[in-house]
Amino acid sequence: MLEASGLMVFYENMLALNNVSIKCEDKQIVGVFGANSAGKSSLMYTVSGIMEDIRKKEAMAGGERITVLGQVLFLGRDITDFKPSKRAREGIILCPERRRIFPECSVIENLRIGAYLATPSQAKDTLEYVFKIYPALERLQKRVGGFLSGGEQQMLAVGRALMAQPKLLLMDEPLLGLSPRIQAMLIRSTKEIRDEKGISIIVTEQYARPVLPIVDYAFILENGAAVLEGPRDEVLNNPDVRSAYFGV
Amino acid sequence: MEQRRKERIDRGIKVRTDGLYALMSWRELGYLTLPRLVLIVGMLILPFVMPSMYWQRVISIVCIYALLAVSFDLLAHFVGLVSLGGALFIGVGGYISAIMNTSFGFPPLLAIPIATIAGAGICTLLLFPCLPLRGVYFAIVSLMYPLAMARVIEALDILGGTDGIMGIDSFPNRWIEQYFVILMVLLFLFGVRRLVNLDLGLVLRAVKDNDQAVRASGMNITFYKAVAVFFSSAMGCLGGACLVHIYMWSGISLFALDFSILPIAATVIGGAGTIVGPVLGCLILVPVSELLRDFGTLRIVFYSLILVAFIVFRSEGIMVYGQRKYHQIERWVKV
Repeated sequence: MLEASGLMVFYENMLALNNVSIKCEDKQIVGVFGANSAGKSSLMYTVSGIMEDIRKKEAMAGGERITVLGQVLFLGRDITDFKPSKRAREGIILCPERRRIFPECSVIENLRIGAYLATPSQAKDTLEYVFKIYPALERLQKRVGGFLSGGEQQMLAVGRALMAQPKLLLMDEPLLGLSPRIQAMLIRSTKEIRDEKGISIIVTEQYARPVLPIVDYAFILENGAAVLEGPRDEVLNNPDVRSAYFGV
Repeated sequence: MEQRRKERIDRGIKVRTDGLYALMSWRELGYLTLPRLVLIVGMLILPFVMPSMYWQRVISIVCIYALLAVSFDLLAHFVGLVSLGGALFIGVGGYISAIMNTSFGFPPLLAIPIATIAGAGICTLLLFPCLPLRGVYFAIVSLMYPLAMARVIEALDILGGTDGIMGIDSFPNRWIEQYFVILMVLLFLFGVRRLVNLDLGLVLRAVKDNDQAVRASGMNITFYKAVAVFFSSAMGCLGGACLVHIYMWSGISLFALDFSILPIAATVIGGAGTIVGPVLGCLILVPVSELLRDFGTLRIVFYSLILVAFIVFRSEGIMVYGQRKYHQIERWVKV
């Protein structure tokens, strides 16, 4: 479904992604794991096209020069030159790191904004679906986004991404700063979304233990390079991974 | 497929001159001092290059706008307060100096320092109530004061009313006038550069980035903001005081919005946050505006076009661009 090959990202002269190739098959959950500064967010930005946007802004303001090399194929089409909005239309939706919900809009408004690309009937169905998997949001419909707890905000961010009718959902550190119980709930719902909606999902995380059980394929990033990849069980049983990302 | 990218790296001499080693060779000393010398010497010989009365007057006006622009840059890009109060500073400084001169008989070179300090105090007091707040309040309040001041003077017919205060002494001669304003610009330019690198400047920049964290470190941010506003309004008041002695007249046009807007335009063109950039911007904008005088009020249109073009195509500003070209080289490298 998605095939990114030879991705290289330079922030000025610093290499953030070094020849990374990732692949996500139809209806797969792919995990990307790595420590801070491993390049997970840069990878998500590059795939979703936000990097192109950042690059243009920096170039206009005379800031860092960002160089992006490589190729991104989505559903067999080369989308390397597509703007982020066009990529979203194609079905690549990013659920950004640190949630980035609209803090002054209510929950229902946040979800409606997400539904910009959806037809009214799709929006209605997805809204019901979001409330089904995250019943907490239904109770909080009128609450302003900024006053939600971290877990509720994350549910809202995922819900908003779902409203945009993704074919490929990119989740950037969805478990950041959440309690183990909420983490488990989010992971369960992520699997449900894939199973019920048939959406492919790429999820990045620092700590692999909660996420690895649901992924089909995993990549390990270190200092911008993909050092290891393989199906879940293979990665799960790799002794280096066990010590580095499971704390065993 | 061979892929290449354009790399940007510091020049060797830039790296060498970062530390004490700069003092080891004339070439490296020259690298450091050349840009500064060009500016200083350029400013100092400017009155000789353009000796006509008209252009010397333009140079004085450039310097006054430069003071305002440096003051705007200091507040906006080192403290995070967007000030639209250039006209307030000019007006307060100008009127105080005018009163000192006509009512108390102080000579200009004594009235100007008094106006600078007293005016800065008054402006700081006026703006103090909105200093604890974050956001647009400072901009709104500082924009409102000059508008209000002009109306108050007009309505109450105080301080000369709409006629203004006339009969103000001029500088002893025009060369003293020229060099006084030019030296003041250079003094404040390098003074502010020093200031923002002191501990005080560090606190101010921290206030701009995250005022809550500064508060959490046990510092009174209102006090620090007030200090910055004092310095900044001192520059503006100095400019205003010089202006009334140049024109030998003080009136409500000192509160005109030109004094608030042009420095901002100059800062955008020159390069925000570089301090010397705004001076450069004034050196370009004010003469351009003089050359466009034939077009009357249409010159505002040209002005806006220049501004929009800069924001769209070079929002970094001339100075940032120039610094980069001076300190760094670019080359293509294989990936």
